[in-house]
Amino acid sequence: MLAYSLKKLLQLVVTTIGVVTLVFFAMRLIPGDAAAAMAGDTLSGAALERLRDQMGLNDPLIVQFWTFVRSLLVLDLGRTLTTNLPVSDLIMSAAPITLLIAIATIILAIAIAIPLGTMAAFMAHKGHKTLDNMITGLAMIIDLMPSFWTALVFLLIFSLTLGWFPASGPISWDDPYTIVMRLALPILVLSLSQVAILARMTRTAVLEVLSEDYVRTARAMGWSELRVLFRHALKNAALPIVTVVGLSFGNLLNGTIIVEAIFTIPGVGTVLINGINSRDYQLVQVLMIFYAMLFVFINFATDILYRALDPRVKF
Amino acid sequence: MIHQGEILAPLLDVRNLRTEFATDTGTVRAVDDASFSIMPGERIAVVGESGSGKSAMAMSILRLLVYPGRVVSGDVLLEGRNIAQLSERQLNQLRGRSVGTVFQDPMSSLDPVMRISKQMTAPIMRNLGMSYKQAYAEAVEWLRKVGIPDPERRITAFPFEMSGGMRQRVMIAMALSCRPKLLIADEPTTALDVTIQAQIVEILKTLTSEANTAMMFITHDLGLVARLADKVAVMYAGRIVEFATVGEIFSAPRHPYTQSLLRTIPSPTALNTSRLPQIPGLPPDMKKTLRGCAFRERCRAATEICAREAPELSHRGANHVAACWQPEGLGSSAIDAEPERALRRNDGPFRDRVIVEINNLNKHFTSSSFLSRASRNVIRAVNGVNLRVRQGETLGIVGESGCGKSTLARLLLGLERPCSGEIFTEGLTQMVFQDPASSFNPKMRIRNIIEEPLLVKGKGDWRTRQTRVEDLVKLVGLDPAHLDRFPGQLSGGQLQRIAVARALALEPSVVVADEPTSALDVSVRAQIINLLADLKQELGVAFVFISHDLLTVQYISDRIAVMYLGEVVEYGPADLVFNSPAHPYTKALIDAVPIPDPARESRRASAVLRGELPSPLNEISGCTFATRCPLATEQCRTEKPKLRQHRKSREAACHYAK
Repeated sequence: MLAYSLKKLLQLVVTTIGVVTLVFFAMRLIPGDAAAAMAGDTLSGAALERLRDQMGLNDPLIVQFWTFVRSLLVLDLGRTLTTNLPVSDLIMSAAPITLLIAIATIILAIAIAIPLGTMAAFMAHKGHKTLDNMITGLAMIIDLMPSFWTALVFLLIFSLTLGWFPASGPISWDDPYTIVMRLALPILVLSLSQVAILARMTRTAVLEVLSEDYVRTARAMGWSELRVLFRHALKNAALPIVTVVGLSFGNLLNGTIIVEAIFTIPGVGTVLINGINSRDYQLVQVLMIFYAMLFVFINFATDILYRALDPRVKF
Repeated sequence: MIHQGEILAPLLDVRNLRTEFATDTGTVRAVDDASFSIMPGERIAVVGESGSGKSAMAMSILRLLVYPGRVVSGDVLLEGRNIAQLSERQLNQLRGRSVGTVFQDPMSSLDPVMRISKQMTAPIMRNLGMSYKQAYAEAVEWLRKVGIPDPERRITAFPFEMSGGMRQRVMIAMALSCRPKLLIADEPTTALDVTIQAQIVEILKTLTSEANTAMMFITHDLGLVARLADKVAVMYAGRIVEFATVGEIFSAPRHPYTQSLLRTIPSPTALNTSRLPQIPGLPPDMKKTLRGCAFRERCRAATEICAREAPELSHRGANHVAACWQPEGLGSSAIDAEPERALRRNDGPFRDRVIVEINNLNKHFTSSSFLSRASRNVIRAVNGVNLRVRQGETLGIVGESGCGKSTLARLLLGLERPCSGEIFTEGLTQMVFQDPASSFNPKMRIRNIIEEPLLVKGKGDWRTRQTRVEDLVKLVGLDPAHLDRFPGQLSGGQLQRIAVARALALEPSVVVADEPTSALDVSVRAQIINLLADLKQELGVAFVFISHDLLTVQYISDRIAVMYLGEVVEYGPADLVFNSPAHPYTKALIDAVPIPDPARESRRASAVLRGELPSPLNEISGCTFATRCPLATEQCRTEKPKLRQHRKSREAACHYAK
């Protein structure tokens, strides 16, 4: 287990180096640069060159890369080009909100999808098709609705028409009630599509395990259906489920950007969109790394969990 | 065993059991009106071909059938209690407690993510009311009883850390640990090697006799029946067609199906100069409502009444019932209608012309992982093998799984490159695989499947290819009407014929057949073996026949090579190797094979080869077999015996070969 974790950690470091390198060079490939964006139409050729010199944009690429890496290592992420605020402050204030949305979504989705999928699988296994068809049909319909659309519909119904949840307003950590009320709809919208994917995946995984020989063995030993379902079937089905949860995290991050924009929530997604709109190279660059690292960490956690669940996993 | 004079009620009484599977294409009547009973401590074998309803019947008894299977009618009385009327809760108290179960595939029958200790202690605690500590000690004790070395340590293992034989021992220990009165074993040794099978059979025999546990075991291996059973139920098309003591089944079978089945097995004593008797045709489609006797279309004694009315089981002796209108079954007309053709021995003009020569062949696989590059593992799959195949002869290769048989086949076909050594072949080499159903593209018509090798090699134009394909299909004994079907529409035996036809398309000089009959039922197996023997004779093709089924290998082969851990330990004429083995491993293998003759089985000393195949990763300096050999001495452990001549025309690698 230790050797396995160490190896996965080493992979994480290698991936991180790859991410940083890729982001840096991808940003240099985009036409235009930070100086031009900052200056707008105000500076002429010579003045623009001076600004470039100042910002180090005329240094050799390798020197710029090193400066970039060093700034990441010491967590001095520089200031935004447009508003001249420290990038780290911006992320530190926005990230908790986005993470809260993401984590709450995952938990809600798991809590709904796994019992639902397991039930569907159990019913299908027993030959009771009706409930199974209802659950899988519902999951498919939900999966077909894009989250920007459900977000708008929810906003229209629950905020604007019924007025149950506020559609806008400040978010302060000192006021848990507003946080819950402001984040409830985005979390609900995001978890809907997660539930759809996860419930179907759970159904497939559990259904497959239910026809395994060791499930028959457990039944032949006289264990009740419930015990067979939870002790044997679900435990073995957990492996593909964990994989899907890990993979769908990427989708979820995409989703947060959209719902944050629709529900005007000051999360990382909003910061990213503002950064892109104002061509703030410095900010976008750091945010790209932030998102990538989040994804890398989730994958790392999935790998570790995988090994903990299944002793057969080798590296 | 039953004590004389004591009046006993049956432990299990099955009456008119009917089980159906509702499928999209119709209802399969898996078990049709089955009735039988088991006395306490009695061992009953249920035999029959695949699809005859053996497993469905066993599962129906415990009501373990899964959707879409269900018991339609009938009563199952266990110690007088009718299982059919029990609630799910009451049934669960019965399962595991009164009836233990062992399944066929030990690799998949244990929960892969749960330690053995947990899987074993939980039922003991529940059923025998023991504390965890007591149950743990009890579990260790049972593991010791089933022959697991170092049980205190092994009990903490996960199933994947054990071999198939070890897992089956765990299954048996688990099933017996709650002291059931009845043990149901569904093909308990089919997935195991012959030496391991012999060990497991010994364990089952000893442990069930000790505790007077009755046993109902399902098998298609008649040798195993002779070794283990008191009584035998023969099933055909969902019905029990004959039920009698093991002695009567073998000495005086009354149902034509039983009679035919017994004669399709190659006998170790016969001279094997004639074709194997075979049962013509295929079992009936179980979805159709059968009128009359289900076996009549394959039965030579069938008369007009057989088509009209299905025979009931009727008495043929005190402990003998059979369901046939003819009192004697096939009776004295039991001689096979097939013409007796002396086919086996290679006396043709091709003799002694060597077409495959293998010299000092080595194939070693190395595995190394990222963090442990230092400890590189070398598996010697094929190690210093020398063999020759002559034109028109069949070379049988036998050995336990992991002995390098299949790697040798792949080397012969050029699918693997040897690490060192040479293979000379004259002409083409082709292959017939074990599982015909999965070795064909299911979306290709049979015609295209057979044509494919011709296309690959660009042989002939369309018209000549079609003629050739039709000739090939006729050659393997099939109707050209089959050519436009898909593999899914043919039976296993027909598909294996197609595989043979495809292998012969390019007129190879050698056909390598890797376990070509092990996926087939006994009656179909005989058909394929006869086909291969005919082809050898007619075309002069040489066969390399790889199998773990010693009786079949001995029957079909001219010469036999016995492999152990990548090496050939004995090589010589089939009869000689089989009847007077020179190498102790060959002898152990042959001793392990159950012979379908209860009288002979009871006389045989149970000389079971101990232990399992050692890990191929360890380098063994002396004789590879020394770790399991009863004759091993210090010399064997230090000095490697070379394959050398013993008597005439036979080679063995043993210091003490007789």
